[in-house]
Amino acid sequence: MTPAVVILVGAVLLAGCTAAPSPTPASAAPASAAPHTEPMPGGPLSTTAGQSPADVALQLEALLGQHSVLVADMMRSRIRNDADFAQAASTAVTRNTDDLTAVVKAMFGDQAAMAFRTTWSEHTTAFFNYARGIAANDTAARDDARAQLVKFESGLGDFFAGASQGRLPPAAARSALTAHVDHLLRQADEYAARDYGRAADDYRTAYSHAFGIGQTLAATLLPPDEAAKLDQPSWRLRSELDRLLGEHIALAVAALRAGATESPDFPAAAASLDQNTDQLTAAMGALFGPAAGQQFMQLWADHIDALVGYTSAVAGNDGAGRQAALDKLRGFEGKLAAFLDTATGSRIPSAELASAFLHHDQMLTEQVDAMANKDYAKAHELAYNAYQDMFGLAKQLSVAFGDTVAAQLPQGGAETGAGGTAPR
Amino acid sequence: MRWRPVACVVLGVTAVVCSVIAATAPPSPPPAPPPAVSASEASFHSVRSYADVAEPVRLRIPALGVDAPLTHLGVAPNGTIEVPADFAVPGWFDQGPRPGQPGPAVILGHVDSKAGPAVFYRLNRLPVGAVVFVDRADGSTVDFRVRGMQHVAKTAFPTDLVYAPTLEPSLRLVTCGGPFDHSRSSYLDNVIVYADP
Repeated sequence: MTPAVVILVGAVLLAGCTAAPSPTPASAAPASAAPHTEPMPGGPLSTTAGQSPADVALQLEALLGQHSVLVADMMRSRIRNDADFAQAASTAVTRNTDDLTAVVKAMFGDQAAMAFRTTWSEHTTAFFNYARGIAANDTAARDDARAQLVKFESGLGDFFAGASQGRLPPAAARSALTAHVDHLLRQADEYAARDYGRAADDYRTAYSHAFGIGQTLAATLLPPDEAAKLDQPSWRLRSELDRLLGEHIALAVAALRAGATESPDFPAAAASLDQNTDQLTAAMGALFGPAAGQQFMQLWADHIDALVGYTSAVAGNDGAGRQAALDKLRGFEGKLAAFLDTATGSRIPSAELASAFLHHDQMLTEQVDAMANKDYAKAHELAYNAYQDMFGLAKQLSVAFGDTVAAQLPQGGAETGAGGTAPR
Repeated sequence: MRWRPVACVVLGVTAVVCSVIAATAPPSPPPAPPPAVSASEASFHSVRSYADVAEPVRLRIPALGVDAPLTHLGVAPNGTIEVPADFAVPGWFDQGPRPGQPGPAVILGHVDSKAGPAVFYRLNRLPVGAVVFVDRADGSTVDFRVRGMQHVAKTAFPTDLVYAPTLEPSLRLVTCGGPFDHSRSSYLDNVIVYADP
């Protein structure tokens, strides 16, 4: 049995240790295991059937952003000594690792996927160990976990640099991954110190940075002719919408969970959600003008207020309030769909959009119910699916937005000269 | 049965791993969560004040000695972009993003007139890294650094790269260049400067 297989067997077994008071990521290998960082030969790149390389790049972004959020949630639950939540969070981290490994496998094959998974799992375990060190006030454990993370980030950096066949400098790869570690450790320290405002800021920063790592990696791991597509405006629009809408889900889930459990970090989590709303609104204003931006913001705010109202009603066992919030959400879904139908010249059917928003809201409210019932596994599964689901919607929206704007753009060059004296 | 030794190994490893987890658990529980929040979700209201970006009113490019007010440009009836009527005044395409908004803001200026050099006469000499300032109607200023330059035939003008929405704040400066067709009093090329915040 190879070391990698032993590690995977151990990981499966770890998942079965439900009686353990201190859950670790289910896929994780022991932190002391040596990293396996050599990328497998073969080079770029094949992708799964039906997925373009540009789609793979978007998937990499989304999964890395999600990794950041899930690891931060896992660390925070460990700091709170919330073992049940931590177990569910670590299962979600493992699912994300599985999905990331599938992407690596599609790009580089089985051997590379195995090597990646091993080091990546060690990396997530080290985050957990750092949080455990915080919870136990064990400085040595924290320092050890930090040292492990430095080692694993270096190994992962070398893995990706090698896989890029020289297009991603190892130092740049290591630097990006080191920053990723710094963000996640800092938000954990701040959360433990009850500095929720800064913890929330770093939660957002960690998400956006990790999402950006996905783009950097894709740009250097894809063949050059495919990587060039990542510079096309249509791809960049979709990528940025992915980032903003994915962040909306992550921050909404964080705020609603804090609300459902009456956690003291709710105001900070809600403030982060506001920042995301500001950015989404700025995007809509730039695409469709200030009046549309203002209209969108009112609708979006109604949506968030209804979700928070639902959470508050669930936490307060207020059945009438819960139903009132659901009624508001049903109204919002139709209004936002109608707004986008108009803004895009009916490029997305209103009924289809309303159905997508209904599904989105249902996953979020059911996630709140699961949290209130302490069914953390279900809450995490719903949140995971809601996050992934958002990218299908973002794809539809980005195509419709891009086509709408493109139909109004000037064509051809500009007649900005008449003398024939321009310097050559 | 042949699978039994494997099962024993698996169970043995399970026990060891679970024991390790139990042994490494903190000896005492960490601090309890802090007391309940004072500002609860009940008092939360989502942000509703739209922070509009003011319109651009002035362009400054110190490296070229450009310091000029901005006019507004739209789409001409023939589908091309309008150009400034005044050769000393650049124009902002006001159907796209404002400078600093998410997406590419586009400013055009003439390279010359029949009377001589115009406001963007030396645009093709603007070095990478040069700073471009855009002053806005509310007194704010946004600055961009030149990332690159492109010379393209007007017949192959990259509409997408210049105008298409990306949600990344950026600036494009456009003028004419290349060979001059005296029969049509028109340059064959455009010069496009790409700048980022």
